[in-house]
Amino acid sequence: MQSGSRYDAIVIGAGHNGLVTGAYLAKAGKRVVVLERRRIVGGATTTDEIYPGFKFTVLSYVCSMLRPEVIRELNLPAFGFKVIPQECNFIPGLDGEYLFYRGDEEDTHNAVLKFSKRDAEALPRFDALMARMCKFIQPLLTMTVPDIGSLNPFELRKLLALAAPLRELSEEEVYEFARIMTMSAADYLDEWFETDLLKAGLSASGVIGTFLGPRSPGTAYVLLHHSFGELDGAYRTWGYVRGGTGALAEAIANAARHLGAEVRVNAPVRSILVKDGRAIGVELDTGEKLYARVVASSADPKRTFLKLLEPSTLPQDFVRAIRNFNIEGSSGKVNLALSRLPDFAVLPGNGPHLTGDVTIGPSMDYIERAYEDAKYGDFSRRPYIDMCMPSALDPTMAPPGKHIMSMFIQYAPYHLKKGTWPERREEFGDTVIDTIEEHIPKIRDIILHRQVVSPWDMEQDFGLTGGNIFHGELTPNQLLFFRPAPGWARYRTPVKGLYLCGSGAHPGGGIMGAPGRSAAREILKDMSIWKV
Amino acid sequence: MRSEYDAIVVGGGHNGLVAAAYLGRAGRRVLVLEKRPAVGGAVATEEIAKGFRAPTGAALAGMFRPEILEELQLARHGLAFLPCDPAVVALADGGKPLRMWRDPNRAAAEIASVSPADAAAYPKFRALMAKIAGVVDPLLLSIPPSISAPSLGDEWFLLRRALRLRRLGKEAMYDALRIPFMSLKAVLDEWFETELLKASFALHGLFGVFRGPWSPYTGFGLIHHFVAESNGGWSFIRGGSASLSGALAAAAQAAGATIRTGAEVRRIATADGRATGVELASGETIGASVVLSNADPKRTFLTLLSSLDLDADFLMRVRNYQSDGCLAKVNLALDAPPQIPALGAAEIPPRIQIAPSLEYIERAYDDAKHGGISESPTLDVAIPTAVDPSLAPPGKHILSVLVQYTPYRLKRGKWDDRREKLGERVLDLLEEHVPNVRSALVGMETLTPADLEARFGLTGGHIFHGEMTLHQQYVLRPVPGWGRYRTPIENLYLCGSGGHPGGGITGAPGYNAAHAVLEDHARAPRTS
Repeated sequence: MQSGSRYDAIVIGAGHNGLVTGAYLAKAGKRVVVLERRRIVGGATTTDEIYPGFKFTVLSYVCSMLRPEVIRELNLPAFGFKVIPQECNFIPGLDGEYLFYRGDEEDTHNAVLKFSKRDAEALPRFDALMARMCKFIQPLLTMTVPDIGSLNPFELRKLLALAAPLRELSEEEVYEFARIMTMSAADYLDEWFETDLLKAGLSASGVIGTFLGPRSPGTAYVLLHHSFGELDGAYRTWGYVRGGTGALAEAIANAARHLGAEVRVNAPVRSILVKDGRAIGVELDTGEKLYARVVASSADPKRTFLKLLEPSTLPQDFVRAIRNFNIEGSSGKVNLALSRLPDFAVLPGNGPHLTGDVTIGPSMDYIERAYEDAKYGDFSRRPYIDMCMPSALDPTMAPPGKHIMSMFIQYAPYHLKKGTWPERREEFGDTVIDTIEEHIPKIRDIILHRQVVSPWDMEQDFGLTGGNIFHGELTPNQLLFFRPAPGWARYRTPVKGLYLCGSGAHPGGGIMGAPGRSAAREILKDMSIWKV
Repeated sequence: MRSEYDAIVVGGGHNGLVAAAYLGRAGRRVLVLEKRPAVGGAVATEEIAKGFRAPTGAALAGMFRPEILEELQLARHGLAFLPCDPAVVALADGGKPLRMWRDPNRAAAEIASVSPADAAAYPKFRALMAKIAGVVDPLLLSIPPSISAPSLGDEWFLLRRALRLRRLGKEAMYDALRIPFMSLKAVLDEWFETELLKASFALHGLFGVFRGPWSPYTGFGLIHHFVAESNGGWSFIRGGSASLSGALAAAAQAAGATIRTGAEVRRIATADGRATGVELASGETIGASVVLSNADPKRTFLTLLSSLDLDADFLMRVRNYQSDGCLAKVNLALDAPPQIPALGAAEIPPRIQIAPSLEYIERAYDDAKHGGISESPTLDVAIPTAVDPSLAPPGKHILSVLVQYTPYRLKRGKWDDRREKLGERVLDLLEEHVPNVRSALVGMETLTPADLEARFGLTGGHIFHGEMTLHQQYVLRPVPGWGRYRTPIENLYLCGSGGHPGGGITGAPGYNAAHAVLEDHARAPRTS
């Protein structure tokens, strides 16, 4: 008889997906423990008081893609989850111009009209098309993808069913869908619009989190991936989680606990225990062993299969596919504690433009050039920055009158050609401040504290291999049937009883909760038919 | 307008001639109208210096469909291919060159001296790609299916392709589905470690494509390349590229087609939304039941037709069709054999590549992406005289250099002012590998994208009549909804590289377009 605690299921990692899996398994009456290496839950979905009184959204900072099913089924609002809609977009230019618009159609129309009548007229049509394409993709997000390599007639039927929603699109829309799947964001947007600032703002969501530029084919799809946001059913709306994204993780953790799951922090898993080709439990750094019928890993695929397991126990083809899985990170974070709200050169003073999303990236060319620096192994000399100040809407984030600024920085490649990230981290931070100084001339006077997070830090502190925020690049060869490896896109792994439940599984990264929820569904299916 | 012919083909490029030959064989009265003094379009051989007959457009064949070769009995009309072996020699920056022999094992032995791991992977990679190419290959000589109303035949054909794909086995099937969406870099990094080898494959995949090897979806080009390989691989045409055009013209004439050169079509005549014939630059009008345009889509719809003939949505699609070229051609006449110190003293390979690494190619692309001429472009040098001495006086040689990337649309300046400098830069780069290139030079011609446009009527100077990117392929080529050679103008068809399966000397668009015409007009329309 083995010593140590016994569970029905062990979940490795209390990132938002791990917590979701834990909660769903507990909801089905299973005895579950979620093990977290760090001192707080959330993984990359975290809020931390880095500077006294200031709550930093250290990594993820906005939320909109979280599946409504997860919110509803786990009753997250009852556990303190609340979204504050981030209603406006502000894109400052470098020559005195800026684009600023709120969520509503009329305001957006008027803002764009200042630049181009054609664009103002095209934008609602573009938005409507994107919304329609999203409707087509959305069912894919919560499903388990069929096995494309199977010859089982049931799987074949499911494969054909994947194409069924295509029938709801007109012929014209089918073509458009094919084009969106194959074009670059820049080429696609160039067909629609002529205003640089507008195209830059839109294309940014085609490259955010990827190691691609707006001129790389495939980015038109990422444009769509980030249009999945569905706050109150409205398309392309983003929002702040009250208390930072960490509050979302707390809410899921509390829901899980309420449903009977155990959530243990400061419990780093050293390895997954395998016996006769099946997972039987885990061993912690402390040497403590925990046993279970099922182990679900929300760590990324490389960490799960190459570090937590002994790769030699896995099929060679599978190991090769995992080694080839592209997981090089391309972004960093710089978070600031500010003594007051900043003054933008193009629009000084306080105002609603400070409450929403601020895009530093005045043209697609600018973003493409930022990508080129990184392509050859350096961080961008003038990076693209997605900035926000959640404290402008959420007073719980900073002391009265003071503010936090969260900046997502692209591009910052994990592999630097010169030097190491610990050596160059502050130089990177300085580059970011130099960049925003062009827009906020007095920024240096109001900085109380600066936190710089490089992709290397993301790997060290959050266990994200390669510092990739999505647990692997979101390109078609790593999506659907291929995520994380061809033939293993259904949360199961070559090790019986071991499941993948993080962003490295379908449908991929972002605060969606979809991989966690679908993995739980598959685990429960296998448990109910005594497969595990 | 009186229909004097059943069909008029606008443009006597190789696809136009193929279409004419097939229509002629089906008993149709066909007229081919060619603007230039000779047929062939960009498949041309022209004298660049006394006694030097160079391929001013396409230098290499190898993708030409064997079915067409057979059915039109082109060998009897004088067509012969001269295969390149080694298919190509990739020259390194200082290091060992790689001779890519046609025999994969022989090539592997050459690679082994640089990397044993790559030598082991090479035959496997070729075998995998050949398997995938085998699945794709039959698509080339077929009309893409209708999306809104696929016929039973279409569905059966596609189902058979899908089954064939599954029969490859899981691993190869996954690769077949993955590779077209990956970047060349991602694909090649999975297989090889030698930069020179990767760059050589990448150049094949990027041939005429305005992308770099790091761009996603460039893996598609690799499959395209291997379809060519499986049809015989890169070869020269005996007597020069124009011999292919000559053989096709002879086959078309043997089938009853009439060919008129020096006959420039000014516009395609329409009445009530139907094509009725053409009007020549001379003012002459000729009526026909159907018109096939071998011109590229932009020239066909934006120049040869009136914008009143077409609806605004369609016109917008055609304007958005990407057909800005990124290639220049430099043809050199040398009065001595090119000396390549990296190779043996007397070795003259039929083709060399100068692009030492993926990063070199990517940087060349970056310059062009922003509207500049690559500081260090990639060079793909064909030496037709290595296998066909008849093209130049004894002991003398022709170098036909494909220069990538040189964007049609320059951000600064005009091509007319940059031509000379580009030529000099190409000579500089060549000199590093072929030191006697300047001293042996007796003739030189630089064709910028603007020149390719002017000389061959290629809009944007695009050798493929439009980018061969995924969003302009198959049912989407040239524009969504019109991927079946038909056009919004009734009785007007596209028969050039702007239709599926696109550019390259395949003859496939011409073949498919002729069959589309015959499908629509099953019985020969009465010529009145």
